[in-house]
Amino acid sequence: MFLPLILLPWVAGAAVIHEKKPLNYRCHFGTYWTIPVVCLHSLYVAVLMGFTRAIRHIEFRFHELRDLWQGILGSASLIGVWVFAYILNEIHDDISWLQVASRFMLLLTASILVLVFFSISIAQPLLSQISLRKREPLELKTMGQVLGIPESGLLLQREQAVDIDPNEPLDKLLLNKRFRQSFMAFADSCLAGESVHFFDEVHELGKIPIDDPVRRIYMARHIINKYIIAGAAMEVNISHRIRQEILATTDLTHPDLFTNALHELTQLMKMNLAKDYWSSMYFIKFKEEARMRSCEHEMEEMRGYDFSPRLSSVNATDDPFHQDHFSRGFTQHSHASYLR
Amino acid sequence: MLITVLENMGLLCSKNHRYTEADAEENAQAAEIDRRIEQERKAEKHIQKLLLLGAGESGKSTIFKQIKLLFQTGFDEDELKSYISVIHANIYQTIKILYDGSKEFAQNDADSSKYVLSSEIKVIGEKLSEIGSRLDYPRLNRELAQEIETLWKDSAIQETYARGNELQVPDCTHYFMENLQRLSDANYIPTKEDVLYARVRTTGVVEIQFSPVGENKKSGEVYRLFDVGGQRNERRKWIHLFEGVTAVIFCAAISEYDQTLFEDEQKNRMVETKELFDWVLKQPCFEKTSFMLFLNKFDIFENKVLKVPLNVCEWFKDYQPVSTGKQEIEHAYEFVKKKFEELYFQSTAPDRVDRVFKIYRTTALDQKLVKKTFKLVDESLRRRNLFEAGLL
Repeated sequence: MFLPLILLPWVAGAAVIHEKKPLNYRCHFGTYWTIPVVCLHSLYVAVLMGFTRAIRHIEFRFHELRDLWQGILGSASLIGVWVFAYILNEIHDDISWLQVASRFMLLLTASILVLVFFSISIAQPLLSQISLRKREPLELKTMGQVLGIPESGLLLQREQAVDIDPNEPLDKLLLNKRFRQSFMAFADSCLAGESVHFFDEVHELGKIPIDDPVRRIYMARHIINKYIIAGAAMEVNISHRIRQEILATTDLTHPDLFTNALHELTQLMKMNLAKDYWSSMYFIKFKEEARMRSCEHEMEEMRGYDFSPRLSSVNATDDPFHQDHFSRGFTQHSHASYLR
Repeated sequence: MLITVLENMGLLCSKNHRYTEADAEENAQAAEIDRRIEQERKAEKHIQKLLLLGAGESGKSTIFKQIKLLFQTGFDEDELKSYISVIHANIYQTIKILYDGSKEFAQNDADSSKYVLSSEIKVIGEKLSEIGSRLDYPRLNRELAQEIETLWKDSAIQETYARGNELQVPDCTHYFMENLQRLSDANYIPTKEDVLYARVRTTGVVEIQFSPVGENKKSGEVYRLFDVGGQRNERRKWIHLFEGVTAVIFCAAISEYDQTLFEDEQKNRMVETKELFDWVLKQPCFEKTSFMLFLNKFDIFENKVLKVPLNVCEWFKDYQPVSTGKQEIEHAYEFVKKKFEELYFQSTAPDRVDRVFKIYRTTALDQKLVKKTFKLVDESLRRRNLFEAGLL
C-alpha cells in the first residue's frame, strides 16, 4: 500500500508529460519541472519526519529516534546530491565530462533511493531496517519493563496468594505472580525453566492492549527471538508445526499468536514439573511465605526435606537461565566451558 | 568498693563464660556440618554416575521408569493414579493427530479417496479434535471411549495410521486404542504396563539412585541415573551433567528410520541420532567414560522392517535385503548394529580406544529384558572398575 502511494505521483507526472509532449531524443524536461520534483522529495522527508514525531514516545528507549534522524539526514543529502547533479546537467549541457559525471551521479543516487524505498517493510519495526547494529536495552531487565507493561495487581491481593490448591489446573495457578516466581525458581533448578519464562513473557504480552500494535510487535519479536526460533537462547520444547506456524505469521499483533505453543508447554509443565513441584522445597517455602504474609506470624524454623527426584547433586553454576546473555550456539558454549 | 569490683569481675566472667559457650556450640555445629559434608562426599564417591542420553522419543524415560520398577520401590497407588491424566491426554492428542492427519491427506494426497471420512465420523472427529486442542482434558468416560473407538476403527483413520510415520503419532497409540474400554472405567487404576507405555516428553533433568542387586547392598554398586529430555532444545542442558560420568547409556530407537524429528520435520530421526551419537562420543569429558549403546524399540523394528525397507533412511542407503521373515529381521538388525559400531570407531580418537563400548538389543517395555540388560551393564562396569583398580 505504501509503495504505490509513493510511486503514484511519479507515474502520474510521467503520464502528464507524455500527453503534453511526446519524448524528444534529448529526453530532458524543462527547468520549470524541477520545482515540483524537489517539492515531492521534500514532501517525502516531511512525511517521514512527521511519522517519527508521531511514534517518538516508544522509540526513545531504543535510541531509535536518532537512527531515524540519521536516516532522514542521509536521504535528504542524497536528494541534495541528486538535485545538484540534475541542475549541473541542465545548465552545462555543453561540457561533456560534466555531463557524464552528473548523469552517473543521477543514476547512482536515484538507484540508492529506490533501493531504500523498496527495502522498507512496514510489517517490522523500523529499528531493524534502518540500523544495522542491534541495540539491546541493557539498563532494564525484562522486555516487559522496557515496554512499560504494568505489573499486575496480584501482589497486593494477599489472600489470593494463600490458597494455592494443587488440584487446580496449573495454567490458572501460574497467573498468580508469586506462585509463578516460586514455580519458575523450581523449574530453573531442574533445568526446565524456559517453559515458565516463556509463560511469563507471553503473559506480559497479553497485558499490552490490542490497540497498541507497535508495542505488541516489539514484544512478540522479542519472544520469538528468545524462545521460538531454532537455536534461540532459551528455545522451548515445541513441535515443528507450531514453531513454523509462529515463524510464518504475517500478523505479529495477533492475540492468539502464541496460544498453541502455550498450550503445548503448559501440558509439558503439567506432566513433568507439577508433581515434583508439590513435593519440593520450593513449594514448602512458598507456602511458608504465604502463611507469613497472611498471618504475620514470626518465622518458624523450616523443617522440610526435598523429596523431589530433581537434581540433588548437580550444581549448575553456569545455568543458562540465570544469565541474561547466553552465547548463541550450544556447542560454542560447551566448548567454552570446557576450555575453562 | 572491693565488692563492686568483685561483682564486676563476676559479671565479666559470666559474660565471657556465656560467650565461650556460644562459641563452642557454634564451633561444634560447624564441625558437625563439615563432618557431614565430608561423609556425604565419601558416600558420593562410591556412587557411579550414569547418564541416559539419546534423541527425543528414543526410550530414555521408559528405561528410567523400568529402573524405578525393577530396583526401587516401584510406583505406589498415588503415583499410578497420577498417570491417568497422562494416559488420557495421550489418547486425546493421538486421536486429534490422526483425525487432522486424515483431513490433510484427503486434501493433498493423490490417492485421496482412501482418507475421506464419512459425515457421521466427521462429527465425532470434530468434537474429539476440539477436546484434543483444549488445555484441560475431561476424564475419559464410556461414552467418549466409544466415540474414540468408532473413529479409530474407521478405515480412513486406519489408513492414516498406516502413514503415522509422517504425522508424529506416538508409539503407544495402538496399545492404548486397543485398551480403551479398560482405560475408560470409572475405577481405572493404571497398570505397570500402562505406565510404561504412557508418553511424557521429558523436559529438564530427573535423577534416581539404585543398586541393581537390591537387598544385598554389599556386593552391589550404587548408581545414580540421570534422565534428560532429548529434543534439540533440551540438549543444551546435558552439558551440566557431563562431569564425572561412569557410563553413558545411549538410547537409539532403531525403529525410527522412516520418521522425522518432532522438533524439525525436515530431519530424519536416524540421521539425527547418528549425528548426536557422534557429538556425544567426541565430548572431551567422556574420555574414560564407558558407552552402553541400547538399540531400542526392537519390537517395533521387527514388525516394521518387513514392511518398510531399511534403505529409505539416508544413512542405510546401501542396505540390500537378502531374505524374508526372521532371517531378514536379523540381517537388518546386524546391519544397523554394524553401522553404529563403525560410527563408534570412527568417532573415537586413538587415545580413547580403551573405553568400554557395548551394544545391547533392547525393548524398553520388556521388563525381563531390561533387567537382564542392566545386570550385564552392571557386570561390565564392575569389571571395568576392578581393572582400573588393578592398574593403579
